Amino acid sequence: MGDRRITDHPILDFDEGEVIHFTFDGKPMEGREGDTIASALHANGVKVLGYHFKTKRPRGFYCAIGNCSACLMIVNGKSNVRTCTEPLLPGMVVEKQLDRGVPDDV
Amino acid sequence: MLINTGVPTREQIERRLPSPERRARGPYAMVECFQEIPCNPCSTSCPFDAILPMGDINEIPMIDHDRCTGCGVCASVCPGLAIFIIDESVGDGTASVTIPYEFRPLPEKGETVRAVNREGCVIGDAIVTRVLLSKKTKTPLVTIRVSDGLVHEVRFFNLIDDKAVSDATSLKRKEEPITVDSACASDDDEIILCRCEGITLRTIRDLIREGYTTVDEIKRISRAGMGACQARTCGPLIAAEIARMTGQPISEIQPSAHRAPVKPMPIEFFLGGDSE
Repeated sequence: MGDRRITDHPILDFDEGEVIHFTFDGKPMEGREGDTIASALHANGVKVLGYHFKTKRPRGFYCAIGNCSACLMIVNGKSNVRTCTEPLLPGMVVEKQLDRGVPDDV
Repeated sequence: MLINTGVPTREQIERRLPSPERRARGPYAMVECFQEIPCNPCSTSCPFDAILPMGDINEIPMIDHDRCTGCGVCASVCPGLAIFIIDESVGDGTASVTIPYEFRPLPEKGETVRAVNREGCVIGDAIVTRVLLSKKTKTPLVTIRVSDGLVHEVRFFNLIDDKAVSDATSLKRKEEPITVDSACASDDDEIILCRCEGITLRTIRDLIREGYTTVDEIKRISRAGMGACQARTCGPLIAAEIARMTGQPISEIQPSAHRAPVKPMPIEFFLGGDSE
């Protein structure tokens, strides 16, 4: 961890926040305070966030501002979470989404 | 044309230059800011009040070159990196250009770099004579020395060992201006235009050829634009493809109908919060 994070940026400073533990498809991972779910996954080398429900093509970061819905994942059992803008919280259970998602109550 | 390419015309540049006498006297700020936008850090930061106060924040900055000392404060605060410090008074056949350089790695003093013009093409060599770091603005100012014939052309530089960059800039560039036609025309029909519904450019082109020439028609027959992002990504691309294939100006193409909510929302939000 750390390899994929920008440490020397010409304009911005990035404070190293507290470590946050979460899981991705069952694997334990570490993110940092201030991460979104997708940024923490990228820092861990995970670029495929799910697969398109129809074409089965891999999906990853695209707009990274909550606009394009390419990064939808299942978070704590809830489908269609836009992980590029959703803050990472301790203990989150994050999974790849392969379909259009299911309503909470089903 | 500035609006199509981001490159100002010769006339626009010359209008911003000070008089030949002033240019021979010492360094001066060259403000290459050509569009009215609400922005004024250059004028409020100038320690010599050489950038005239703006009555309206949208005004293009105007310089009093008799007051300007070429100190570079404005160049390091301009968020658009549009201000350069030019010094034509060196007098040995060279002149210097100070460039706001927000990249890593920084070059070192004495290093030879490739001088790049406004179009992004390498046009000669340059020597780095100063690297100025400011704690306050963080934008490093790098001064490079070029032959004086190039000083009004050079506005950037590439590091020599940065192979990826020099390969990209040495590619032959198109001479013709970029238009909707050339910017959007992809040779690859299989690229996915609507990412949410997985619709290819081929499908969109086939539909336009069949006579579906509005974004709404294409949306209804193909589902392009009806997926999770609600056409925020593919809508403008489809409009551009219609404009290109039908020869209409893109301003004439109506976007698809949009209805609230503007952003995707969980249904519980509309039901009053509690989903249990």
